[in-house]
Amino acid sequence: MSLEGYLAVSAALFTLGIVMYVSRKNSIAILMGVELILNAAALNFVAFSRFTPSKVSQLDGQVFAIFIILMAAAEAVVALAIALSVYKEFKQIGADKLSTLKG
Amino acid sequence: MIELSQLFFYLFAAMVLGVGLIVAFSKNLLRSAFALFFVLFGVAGLYVLLGGDFIAIVQILVYAGGVNVLLIFGTMLTADVSNPAKSNLSFQGILTALAAIGFFIVVYGIISSTNWGVITPAPMESTTRNLGILLLQDYVLPFEVISFLLLSAMIGALVLVIKGDQK
Repeated sequence: MSLEGYLAVSAALFTLGIVMYVSRKNSIAILMGVELILNAAALNFVAFSRFTPSKVSQLDGQVFAIFIILMAAAEAVVALAIALSVYKEFKQIGADKLSTLKG
Repeated sequence: MIELSQLFFYLFAAMVLGVGLIVAFSKNLLRSAFALFFVLFGVAGLYVLLGGDFIAIVQILVYAGGVNVLLIFGTMLTADVSNPAKSNLSFQGILTALAAIGFFIVVYGIISSTNWGVITPAPMESTTRNLGILLLQDYVLPFEVISFLLLSAMIGALVLVIKGDQK
């Protein structure tokens, strides 16, 4: 399969992530959108490292994909801790209702 | 005659995008969270087709086994899952869908009109040994930084959650 096929799948996944990120009100749903976007980025890295590898090392893109996965894990942990604390304080986590900091 | 790898590519791509639509548009947040499992498995399958065996396993272990379970717990602890109409609203759905379709058309136009300089891929081989050598030689500093990031994220999450209890 050609590089364009993988890039098209990745772009579609990224678009779905953007839709979720923009249109959902629940904070956890927004976090799921971010996960979709990060997956699309990692898929791009792996596809490019297979079809247009660098001269020095064939696996640079896969190393970056590993870093993306680890960063997504760290981000999900912290974001869920924040969501739980916010839920304890306000009894809901709708992104449009949390407007205490608004002037 | 269609090749086997091509068949699997279409299978995994349809799985990622079809289930991804459920994730993005399902009214029930818990259903979205469970559908995300299948998206992650589909992406892991695409990694295998791209010759990344180690990273596919990492994807399944860390993403499907860790992050997604965490997301499901977060959903069940915070959202009122028995009443999806209340907990999972979305707004401006049609406008967002139109904008997203436009965005995808633009990106796909760029992808198909660019010359990427593709070379014929080398035959697939096991990547675990080479990835380990790369991570401990060329990328040892980013590796240490990401370890420190994970440690600080863990401590930060503990502090955030415990602080709420002591009031």
